[in-house]
Amino acid sequence: MTDLTQQQVRERIERRLASRHLKEKIFRGLGIASIAFGVLAVAILFADIIAKGSGAFVQSDIQLEITYDPAVLGIEQVDQESLTWANFTGVIREALRERFPDVSGRAEKRELYSLVSTGAPFALRDRLAADPELLGQTEKVWLTADDDVDTFVKSLSDSRNGFRGRTSDRMAGWIDQLLVAGELKKRFNSNFFTNGDSREPEQAGIRAALVGSLFTLLVTLMLSFPIGVAAAIYLEEYAPRNRWTDLIEVNINNLAAVPSIVFGLLGLAIFINFFEMPRSAPLVGGLVLTLMTLPTIIISSRASLKAVPPSIREAAMGMGASRMQVVFHHVLPLAMPGMLTGAIIGMAQALGETAPLLMIGMVAFIVDVPHGITDPATVLPVQIFLWADSPERAFVERTSAAIMVLLSVLIAMNASAVWLRKKLERRW
Amino acid sequence: MDMHFDQHISRQFNEDLESIKTEMLEMGGMVTRQVADAVESLANADSELAEKVLRVEEEIDRREMALDEHATLIIAKRQPAASDLRMVMSVIRIARDLERVGDEAGKIAKMAIALTDEGTSPRGYTEIRHIASAVRRMLNDSLDAYTRFDVQSAMRTLAEDEQVDMDYRTAVREMITYMMEDPRSISRVMNVLWTLRSLERIGDHAKNICEQVVYLVEGTDIRHGHEDNLKKA
Amino acid sequence: MNTMTLDAGHAAPAQPESLEKETVDSQTKVRETVGQPFCDDAKLRMRGVNVFYGEAQAIHEVSLDIGRNEVVAMIGPSGCGKSTFLRCLNRMNDTIDSCRVEGEVTLDDEPIYGPKVDVVPLRARVGMVFQKPNPFPKSIYDNVAYGPKIHGIASRRAELDDIVENSLRRAGLWNEVKERLDKPGTGLSGGQQQRLCIARAIAVSPEVILMDEPCSALDPIATARIEELIDELRENYTIAIVTHSMQQAARVSQRTAYFHLGHLVEVNDTETVFTNPQHELTEAYITGRFG
Repeated sequence: MTDLTQQQVRERIERRLASRHLKEKIFRGLGIASIAFGVLAVAILFADIIAKGSGAFVQSDIQLEITYDPAVLGIEQVDQESLTWANFTGVIREALRERFPDVSGRAEKRELYSLVSTGAPFALRDRLAADPELLGQTEKVWLTADDDVDTFVKSLSDSRNGFRGRTSDRMAGWIDQLLVAGELKKRFNSNFFTNGDSREPEQAGIRAALVGSLFTLLVTLMLSFPIGVAAAIYLEEYAPRNRWTDLIEVNINNLAAVPSIVFGLLGLAIFINFFEMPRSAPLVGGLVLTLMTLPTIIISSRASLKAVPPSIREAAMGMGASRMQVVFHHVLPLAMPGMLTGAIIGMAQALGETAPLLMIGMVAFIVDVPHGITDPATVLPVQIFLWADSPERAFVERTSAAIMVLLSVLIAMNASAVWLRKKLERRW
Repeated sequence: MDMHFDQHISRQFNEDLESIKTEMLEMGGMVTRQVADAVESLANADSELAEKVLRVEEEIDRREMALDEHATLIIAKRQPAASDLRMVMSVIRIARDLERVGDEAGKIAKMAIALTDEGTSPRGYTEIRHIASAVRRMLNDSLDAYTRFDVQSAMRTLAEDEQVDMDYRTAVREMITYMMEDPRSISRVMNVLWTLRSLERIGDHAKNICEQVVYLVEGTDIRHGHEDNLKKA
Repeated sequence: MNTMTLDAGHAAPAQPESLEKETVDSQTKVRETVGQPFCDDAKLRMRGVNVFYGEAQAIHEVSLDIGRNEVVAMIGPSGCGKSTFLRCLNRMNDTIDSCRVEGEVTLDDEPIYGPKVDVVPLRARVGMVFQKPNPFPKSIYDNVAYGPKIHGIASRRAELDDIVENSLRRAGLWNEVKERLDKPGTGLSGGQQQRLCIARAIAVSPEVILMDEPCSALDPIATARIEELIDELRENYTIAIVTHSMQQAARVSQRTAYFHLGHLVEVNDTETVFTNPQHELTEAYITGRFG
């Protein structure tokens, strides 16, 4: 070994200094670059979704002078029964013909009638039901425009040409007239939040899917959190360390990595085929998602149990507390924030899950909002999947809008996880 | 028992202990020399040598103080325990004994000067020479025993003090008898008596040193006639 | 195990020479303890205690008495088994799966190991204070009241208040915390936290208090307070304390036990251990001669 003088040592250190600093800079640069890439990807995703989906929150309406003519409607007085078979479509057609008197011919008339949504008659029925006095009177009413009209109107603001699709030149002419007269306007699309699914984009909403998701998650939370926490406590605090517990631990970790579709198959085989539970029900969906989220919750709960300082356990045990007292008086309160965070993240995962739900029939076309966990239902991600598959142009923006809703719910859940942790975490 | 004062984890501690031991033994060497010089100055009526003894005595006092301070520092810094603690304590105590031996040597030197001025004593030199050689041997042996941590030798040396005491008493009786016979020589013989007294005291201090050797090695305090403590342990 | 009589203990120091020949290497050999491991009025009695962690033996044939109202200090280099031994005395080792304890440990002549012995009342009788102050993340009041609550010692709030106040007073903490009993115990200083832990331990009126290096995380002033407290507590409790500070052992204990590689090498009056230890290993340890 050679003895180096302090001078020599300093020189050697300085010689390497530049390359060390450079490496440091490169590493930092790489880190920043990767974060920037991630942020950019998220930004593009959000920008794209928002750009596409924001249109779904507005909807074109057409103003028509509707005459509730008993002759056209075919009813004499307003009551429960008469309303169901009253011909509101006729009234609307009458109004359209009056608005554009020069329209003649079968094909032209059909085009004229298609300006207004097929759901519009129901709106008129509701108005009349609310105010029977209207029978025989005339009023100006805003009616939902057809999705083709809506798409065309929205595309007009983007470029001069506009997206025609199934809109003919004649229809475009009428729409221009209506626009100039101020009889075609865009308004906030409340249907999107209050309606269930529909074949007609202008009538389709996410309410049913949202409620379905809610029920499914409720079932999942009610089952997976207590089971997961109990399993974690047993494994962490009670179970002896031996080959069996090792095996269980490995299996839990493996389960967390199993593709979710497998859980769907499992749910189909067990809950539906064997236990004969109803198809498409949030109950079964919740059960399947419970199976899927359990490993996540168990793993995160065990991690937060492990994070409780052993000195607290020792202190309690040294006082003569029984094992259960140690766990419930001291360990659990300290581990709770971590467990809740894990549970919420598991729930968020479950909320975004589609594949296993397809297997148990939650992919059905559900118009009605479910009222319980056994009613047929669908969930948000499945709804997105269905809409993304639909041919109508107007469903593109609705798909994006539904994604926005799903993402907002996810962000809200994650934010609440952070908030819960902050609130429950004892700083003393 | 083997004493290992050079095996501490702290090298500085080893050095500190070694250095107070060395300082003490150096002081012991000086003091032994003082006793020899004082006795010689008295025997040869050499007042010059006696003056030198008195000068050196101051140096010994200074050394005792330095050693004390050094030992205090070790206690403060190291909190010695067991044999280390006994080592430090024994050094402090032996240093005090050595300083007193130095004082006695000084007294003897003063007597030597007085006797030179007043004229030699008619009697007592034989006794002085005899007892002086015994206590010098004791002093030497005790410091030797300390150097070698030799309890056996220390116990032997310690036992010699009894003989010295006996010789001292015999000599005192003889001197008193002589003074009664020849009252004119009282003042000169008294100087011899003081000298004998000092030598006897030196013997006692040598004995104390031997006791410290036993304390250092065995950890038992045999002072003030508690020799049986050693057997008990 | 009871056949080991007091005579065996007193006979040991008679021939210390033979033991002094042993070196550090002779670790596997079962050593006879030098000094006075036994006493007449023993609160805790250990006879031939062996402790294993799996295959490894941590404690070899340790026999020791801890007398009533006595402070026994256990010293020794790290890993010598002194903490393990201490934890045998209230069965804290039970929580370690691989740990096995052999031999006899009695509290007031009743065995504490055995199928019929319940550790819950045992730990109420033998309290423990740990190395790091570990108050519960609760209020000061709740920390002290926890033991009495779980053991059902106090039924009424007023009773509980009394216990809390008394315990805090005895731990010398009352005047410092009486204004803020509802404040978190973890907000106190390190020394106060440790005294809170002592208050918590004495709140269930234990007979024995085990202290596992109670001052190792504290500054000298806090340490001095705890040492003073230990001296006061001796009137009412039997105390076994493990410490790394030899000066502390010298200051607080009446007897000192020196552990070395799982063997109890020497037990003697603290005075003797620190001025004239009988075993070479003890001497080497307390004078700082280990490499």
